[in-house]
Amino acid sequence: MKNNWWKILAALLLVFTVIAGLLTEVPRLAILNETIRNLFFHVPMWFGMIVILLVSVVYSVKYLRNPSIKNDVIAYESAKVGILFGVLGIITGMEWAKFTWGEYWSNDPKQNAAAIGLLLYFAYLVLRSSFAEQQQRARISAVYNIFAFFALIPLLFILPRLTDSLHPGNGGNPGFNSYDLDNRLRLVFYPAVIGWTLLGVWIVNVKSRLELLKQRLYETV
Amino acid sequence: MKLFKILAIWCFILCATAGTKSVQAQAKPNAAADQTNVEMADTLRQDGKIYVVVAVLVTVLGGILIYLVSLDRKVSKLEKQLKDEYVNR
Repeated sequence: MKNNWWKILAALLLVFTVIAGLLTEVPRLAILNETIRNLFFHVPMWFGMIVILLVSVVYSVKYLRNPSIKNDVIAYESAKVGILFGVLGIITGMEWAKFTWGEYWSNDPKQNAAAIGLLLYFAYLVLRSSFAEQQQRARISAVYNIFAFFALIPLLFILPRLTDSLHPGNGGNPGFNSYDLDNRLRLVFYPAVIGWTLLGVWIVNVKSRLELLKQRLYETV
Repeated sequence: MKLFKILAIWCFILCATAGTKSVQAQAKPNAAADQTNVEMADTLRQDGKIYVVVAVLVTVLGGILIYLVSLDRKVSKLEKQLKDEYVNR
């Protein structure tokens, strides 16, 4: 119980996000209309993905410094959950784009960059599954993971800002912050980001423990 | 035990929000007392039935969270059993 308070916090924040996210007052904006509430569900997927992939990189670095099965398992499981969040982010983004930008895929620079970023991580999964030997697999995929993360950062946060983009905060478009100043959106947005991220960390926690149990079972049998 | 505590907190939040909803509904003044304004249990039909969507999403989220909690407990139990085996050998 003492070590699990953050799981309860995650559940509470997510329940708050769903209830307040649908019922709170939001700015009345043309085109966006009520879809501005997607801010509480689409954007936290990407924030969560970045945090969880950062966890993955940290454990990959830890593995290279101290090769233990635990570090490798956590790096792998968090990369998988990060990819799940990214896929959900890109699908929710397409659904939102269809009804505000007119197309599921309008070749927006940030959309394209996010797709390339996800492909980099799919390559991580393929690379990983192509080694039979455990230490080789762990070491090479840890090195690749570090490269993939540092390729993803400019793809998502730098390159789209250098050109015109439909996404807020890029090119000539204002960020959400410019009409966000009444703090009504922030009041739900920050808890939503923390809640969804903690949910991802929770899934990583459970999956890594299960995987480590499996490894120990194989050791003892 | 952990599961029940979390379930209890979750139910408390649901009841609390439902309670505030009904209080808000009661606080609204009844304009004219003609046929359309007869008081009915209309909370879930107000505002374009958005509260139905809230209820559905909270149910889905609650189901997923309870599932995750039960997975977590199963893994904890396995961890404990495996540790016991190490001790017993």
